Amino acid sequence: MLDLVPFITTHQGIALDELAAQFQISQTELLSDLNSLWMCGDSRFDLIDLEFESGFVSIRNAQTLNLVRSLSPQEIISILIGLDLIAHNLDSSRTDLLTDIAVLRKKVGRDMGRSIEALPSLSSHTAELISQAIAQRRTIECQYHSISDDRVTTRTIDPIEISESDGIYFLKAYCHTAGAHRTFRVDRMKDAKILDRESKPNQEPTQSSTTISVAVTLVREKRYASETLGRTLSGNESQVELSVFNQAWLSRTVIGAAGAMKVTSPTESRTEITSLATKILDLYR
Amino acid sequence: MSRKSERLVNLTIALLATKRWITKSEIFATIDGYEGEAEAKERMFERDKDDLRNLGIDIEVGTFDPLFEDEAGYRIRPENYRLNFDQLTSREFSLIAMATQSWRGAVLDSSALSALVKLKSLGVDSDLDAIGASAPTITASDSNLVTVIDAIAQRRSISFTYRGPELEDQNRALEPYGAGTRAGHWYVAGRDLDRQELRLFRMDRIDSEVLPQGKNQSYEIPNDFQMQTLLDFHTENLSAVIRVRRDKAHSLRAISQMISDDDEWCTLSYPYSSESDLVRAVLWHLEDAYILEPASAVVSVQKALNEIVKIHG
Repeated sequence: MLDLVPFITTHQGIALDELAAQFQISQTELLSDLNSLWMCGDSRFDLIDLEFESGFVSIRNAQTLNLVRSLSPQEIISILIGLDLIAHNLDSSRTDLLTDIAVLRKKVGRDMGRSIEALPSLSSHTAELISQAIAQRRTIECQYHSISDDRVTTRTIDPIEISESDGIYFLKAYCHTAGAHRTFRVDRMKDAKILDRESKPNQEPTQSSTTISVAVTLVREKRYASETLGRTLSGNESQVELSVFNQAWLSRTVIGAAGAMKVTSPTESRTEITSLATKILDLYR
Repeated sequence: MSRKSERLVNLTIALLATKRWITKSEIFATIDGYEGEAEAKERMFERDKDDLRNLGIDIEVGTFDPLFEDEAGYRIRPENYRLNFDQLTSREFSLIAMATQSWRGAVLDSSALSALVKLKSLGVDSDLDAIGASAPTITASDSNLVTVIDAIAQRRSISFTYRGPELEDQNRALEPYGAGTRAGHWYVAGRDLDRQELRLFRMDRIDSEVLPQGKNQSYEIPNDFQMQTLLDFHTENLSAVIRVRRDKAHSLRAISQMISDDDEWCTLSYPYSSESDLVRAVLWHLEDAYILEPASAVVSVQKALNEIVKIHG
């Protein structure tokens, strides 16, 4: 409510609905605030002369309260984090803006600066390009590093939607290269470009994808193991059931866990893991 | 709006308009809303002072005569109350406006919004197009982050349940010093009150609601504290010698230095931060990578592989 006064002072005659929108409150709340403000003030200090019956708000004689209040620590923090992200998104050639941001961080942040440090998890460039492609219904071509088969391939994909989970961005799409729907990690997409070709993401897959149902027991380092499998478990749980698209990913995950997890079924997966582990041991002989 | 906020506005006006210290009894006499027994008024006033301080308003306390244990006086200096952005250029303004907008819909949205409203109240227009940069979007949706940030701002302790390495529940009490992100995760750092040490916690491993406890301004953030330094804990300052198969193990190659490139295998110098990270990274690449040095890591890998064979055989 304190912040209403200076805002109205610099925006005399603002319409009630517009003022409510600026403060993101309802008109009823705004009217109640204005009525209270109108009651406030004191002849010895400040007799606020507030006019809003016409549906437009103006104010006079608010010498004391018409100062814009300094930023609260929370507001400073929200600005600092925002500035950090802008800085990291900028092309490094924009030294003008980067310098401005460094100066601002000191001016606005004062002592708060050293408490806050944010880095974006993703270059907004790729995300923006994808959003643009979705909006224009266009196909994307990119280099994709698939970690489960450890290959970088050129993919042609029709994007469906971007989602975020735990700070990682995922793109659901129809992949022409695989002939099926796939989920891609946006941070593993490189050199993305929009093709001049209409995207048809809802087409029938040309290849059917099958999943394997797997049961895994967490042996130790259970927090690391459950996070790797993308599951949130509580203290006494150690069994995880999941569906995986390919054995390669499962083998890499289980062997990479260095003994922290054990596959209990199916038998074929266990056999595959044993055989791979034996072959890797041979490299050390 | 309640009588309470009316009282707060009137208190602010009174403390802001006065050129001299005003005493509690003067406040009770002139401002409506302080009612009841002396003790009740006293409590009300203490709470109001806390509320105003939490809004970032600096209330000074002083006495009329330093020689006597006089009744304390209060005031707000306009130069402290006022947003002092006189020296900002219009481009700096636009950058701040853009920074506040990146919170749209995310957890600090309301703080960002009120900051933006204050900027607009100064009557300066921001011109986002003139900057030629795009506003990033912040997606933090963890409501604990707001509690943590408020606690850092108010220097107030917090407590929470943390998921330990074996998924065990750990009860933690912390004086939070800072917050930040790395690789898509939010972290909070501070002094762990049980361990009496500086510790870093990953926010998504907090299993409970974060609860503030104790009083505001109950500790100081050490002068040498830097969130950035703490977040760079994963510095890869060790180096291993590994061999990788031709055209394979792209993610290992990406951060390594080539030592020699033979027919089927390349030898690389690979930077890592802990032996367990090294073992996991190399094992992920199955038959396409193996470790030459350090010898201790070779032993760990063999031990892990033998265990994997044993539990799956």
